[in-house]
Amino acid sequence: MTRRVLLIALCAVAVLAGAAGAQAPSRLVVQAPTEPPGLDLTATPASATAGVVFNNIQEGLVKLDRHGKLAPSLAERWHTSDNRNYTFFLRRGVRFHTGRELKAADVKYVFDRAMNPETKHPYLRDYDAIGDIIVKDDYTITFALKALNANFLHNVARQGSVIYPREAVDALKSHPIGTGPFRFEEWVRGDRIVLVRNPEYHVKGLPKLDRVTFRFIADPNAVLAALKAGDVDASMFGLGPEHVQDVQKDARFQVIVGDTTNDVILAMNNSRKPYTDARVRQALTHGINKQDVLRGAMFGMGKILGSNVDPLNPYYVDMSRAVPFDPAAAKKLLAEAGYPNGFDTVLKVAPQYYYTVRSGEVIADNLKKVGVNVKIEQIEWGQWIARVFREADFDLTIIGHAEAWDIKNYANPKYYFRYDSAKFQDLFRKSEVTLDDKARRELFAQMQKLMAENAPVVWLFMHPNVVVAKKGLQGFWKDLPAPAYHVSEIGWAPPR
Amino acid sequence: MRRYVARRVAALAATLFFVSALVFVAIRVLPGDPAALIMGTEGSREAADRLRESMGLNRPLPVQYVEWLGRALRGDLGHSIQYDVPVGELILTRLPVTLPLALLAATFMVAAAVPLGLYAATHHRRAGDYLAMIVSQLGISIPQFWSGLLLILLFSVTLGWVRSGGFDGWSAGVGPALRSLLLPAVALGLFQAAVLVRATRSAVLDVLREDYVRTARAKGMSERLVVAKHTFRNALIPIVTVAGLQLGQLVAGAIVLESVFALPGLGRLALGAISARDLPVVQGVTLFVASAIVVINFVVDLAYGFLDPRIRYE
Repeated sequence: MTRRVLLIALCAVAVLAGAAGAQAPSRLVVQAPTEPPGLDLTATPASATAGVVFNNIQEGLVKLDRHGKLAPSLAERWHTSDNRNYTFFLRRGVRFHTGRELKAADVKYVFDRAMNPETKHPYLRDYDAIGDIIVKDDYTITFALKALNANFLHNVARQGSVIYPREAVDALKSHPIGTGPFRFEEWVRGDRIVLVRNPEYHVKGLPKLDRVTFRFIADPNAVLAALKAGDVDASMFGLGPEHVQDVQKDARFQVIVGDTTNDVILAMNNSRKPYTDARVRQALTHGINKQDVLRGAMFGMGKILGSNVDPLNPYYVDMSRAVPFDPAAAKKLLAEAGYPNGFDTVLKVAPQYYYTVRSGEVIADNLKKVGVNVKIEQIEWGQWIARVFREADFDLTIIGHAEAWDIKNYANPKYYFRYDSAKFQDLFRKSEVTLDDKARRELFAQMQKLMAENAPVVWLFMHPNVVVAKKGLQGFWKDLPAPAYHVSEIGWAPPR
Repeated sequence: MRRYVARRVAALAATLFFVSALVFVAIRVLPGDPAALIMGTEGSREAADRLRESMGLNRPLPVQYVEWLGRALRGDLGHSIQYDVPVGELILTRLPVTLPLALLAATFMVAAAVPLGLYAATHHRRAGDYLAMIVSQLGISIPQFWSGLLLILLFSVTLGWVRSGGFDGWSAGVGPALRSLLLPAVALGLFQAAVLVRATRSAVLDVLREDYVRTARAKGMSERLVVAKHTFRNALIPIVTVAGLQLGQLVAGAIVLESVFALPGLGRLALGAISARDLPVVQGVTLFVASAIVVINFVVDLAYGFLDPRIRYE
């Protein structure tokens, strides 16, 4: 009898130990390339801030899902009968990390604050269309728009529209509080940010991890070493494409390559000669072999673009072959524009983004063959922002624009590349107030066609989403329709 | 001695004043300001303008400088624009990384360079001397970031003895902290050691040619005693001078290696602050480093008196 009891007890211990052993690790160390310049999404548009905070710590009323489609988030549904009044029905029982329940008054406070110029919200204009915000009850809120606005729901889904409790507003910059799957735990400046599971998260089964550490390592070589030494579990945007081939051969890792909204462009200063002439801009587009650029800068990863609408956008039209690589056509156009012998020009690039210099070198080589001598000038990021972006003091520059739906920049003649087309601006204005999907799609198609014809910039390629992770990790988003690192769905596969 | 110390303190104050004014102007004349950098390419121009106004960056430069100086004299170095914490606090949190890193690197530098330099000098124009010179030439020629990466490749990736980078703090234990700092300290000390080997060799060779060394040898004193008693101590003044200067350079080297090893130290703080135009942090770190270098020089001066009793500071 005693022996049998002992045997049963031993079996029970073995089963329990087995169960404990089978439990997957619940911690994750993720490398991120850039440390956020503050953690307040209502104060900075930095994608480094969004990467950590957006949808991990703080969430909006609606969100973009994996496929870039609008989906419920803090609002379980929404309704509009006239496209002027949008009513959001909040989920019940959602709690901030402070323990207090989210109510409609919190939503009103957040949007009132965003619309107040004193707040210095980076996306103030996104809320221009809002006329009035009416709290119907604790869980129902209506936004009355001053005019039709086709982007309204997308603006509510943006990183700047996250909901936070009013009592936490002063601490947002260094200790963000929201309703997200993770709570902020600590920020060791210069090293890491640690998030811990929110046990009261309103989506059942999420998050899958107990603890996530974002470790900031900028140097791609250091990232590779940290991955190979096992010091980090995954890297997001950290490795250069030249390293990806190396880790692809390593059986310990998986490589996920997907799409993003980051369009890398060669911007031409449309207000400065010779780029005031559309023929010159078209000539440059014809003169650049984008396949060469993609191979040279990105080792072939990414997708070639022909307009500023990225493949994740529902209105994307493949314009990549609209202005093909054709050096003879480039020379002809340059001669017609009065530059039969080409001209000298300066390309200003900020090496902070590795692809800018690499793309620039390929482009300079391509354009030399059509008579355009490109001198590459490398400048520091702060100088790029001041001289190129704010003062438009440049001929050519290369940069990636990561924001979704940023076609609006082409309707702003003061934007740094100074594209000023009344026809385009008119089409864009119409698209802003056209709610019918078919009609709006048609307008977007027309805009993309016009952009390709006018060639205000040369759209080079879409920068890919490159995730390198240890095998056994699952739940990564392949495509990134918004600049966020969504870690709530990531977890370790149970050991076999 | 008291007058000497007073003179050095006055020199320190003057140095700090000029350094702070220089850094202030240098950062402000650089194109790009923190407001524009925070807003990046996605925030609107109006948002950046409003932020700049609220940061007080539109006021005249001299007004801003005098205000900063007034606060600094009261011990308030201001708030970091990027991190939203007091600059003094930020520097204090970075010191436990950079200070031990510099000390470890300096220890490695002296422990490797002085015996090797001494050996090379006492084996002048023999195989050991040539070998030491080749090794030091290699040390000088290999950039620090490269030697850092090679060390990571060998000791972290291949052997797995130490971690490849990052620092969890001293609270995680002295052992893990030292393991985090060991490789960067070696990489940092390697280059400086290579320089110090040559300085030591040259200083010892000079003294070995002195008459009193010949006299000591003529008296029948053993070579070991000649080197230890009559040569090395007399050669120490130039060695200490070079080593003192190198301590200052270790801080500059730390900027590169803290990036390679992803260490949250003062060097990386300064680099990030310059990129973000976080002026209060740049000012704070610069003043701290300048003070440290002045103090190191002061200690080196005092060491001269100890090494050579003929030197007195009156």
